[in-house]
Amino acid sequence: MNRFEFTKIRVLETGHNSGSWNMALDEVLMNGVGDTPILKIYGWKPSCVSIGYFQSMNEEVNVEKCKQVGIDCVRRITGGGAVFHESELTYSFISRNYPQSIMQSYEMVCEMLILTLKKLGFDAKFSPLNDIIVGGRKVCGNAQTRKNGVMLQHGTMLLGVDVEKMFSLLKVPKEKISDKAIEDVKQRVFGIGKKFDLVANTLKDSASETFSADLSLENITQEEAAATEVLDLEKYASKEWNFKR
Amino acid sequence: MKNLANIFKAKKLIKISMSYDDKKNVIGSIKITGDFFIHPEETLESLEANLIDTKLERNEISKKVEESLKNSEAFGFDVNSMTDAIMGCLKNE
Repeated sequence: MNRFEFTKIRVLETGHNSGSWNMALDEVLMNGVGDTPILKIYGWKPSCVSIGYFQSMNEEVNVEKCKQVGIDCVRRITGGGAVFHESELTYSFISRNYPQSIMQSYEMVCEMLILTLKKLGFDAKFSPLNDIIVGGRKVCGNAQTRKNGVMLQHGTMLLGVDVEKMFSLLKVPKEKISDKAIEDVKQRVFGIGKKFDLVANTLKDSASETFSADLSLENITQEEAAATEVLDLEKYASKEWNFKR
Repeated sequence: MKNLANIFKAKKLIKISMSYDDKKNVIGSIKITGDFFIHPEETLESLEANLIDTKLERNEISKKVEESLKNSEAFGFDVNSMTDAIMGCLKNE
């Protein structure tokens, strides 16, 4: 059982939305969260490449190619690397109560994800600092930020992997786009091959079990929706934000 | 001013690009990017600002990096590897 227990967790299943909207809602929820932590479960439509806060969009992403094939590009508020979001379940966990140690707080949230994978039949393990692996292969990457006493951790659970497509959208050095390099990546990552809804339901059960919490299944409020629309347009869809580095 | 760049593999990748005044041996401006983590994130902007007008010498750079990171937690690099990444620009001059 997790050392951290919550009376209740507010669960938001927000569906599949654009990269800028997803990131805007994360920030809105972070700004407004009370004592009840929030578990947000979501996907991306259209598919999206997100980059870490410290990365350069032009250095990491083939922006022209993404435009051609209708794929979003967005900068996250968290560090880490570029991620191609397509066949995956994404979550955000937002809380005012968390271990001060960064490592321990990753472990706290990842415990719920590891339980999810175990319930789905996978022998998952935490791989510090911020990954979860199955059979030595990465199945879940996570990233975290803290602002004004609130921790946000978001991450992805891979359902499927299309390495060739991912390589076509990221600026991978030409010498690395070999059959061997593609095969190497395939050997290092793992898609669990389960349906989104099954994983989402299992994640909710696991969150309740991990934190001994009741779940409050809710929709975002009208105020949250309105604030998200504004932040989407003014920040996360803007060139100023996405190309700031 | 010369434009210098370096890509350095610490635990995570650090990419440096800078303008460099080779007559005065100082950094004119610098951009640091990569897939690392720093908490709080704004620390990187402070580090970049603090490095402006700093001599491109190992001790000077190391001191500025250490000072800038003192109230933060970084994952994927440390003071030494960030200093190596910045000093490595000279090899690519």
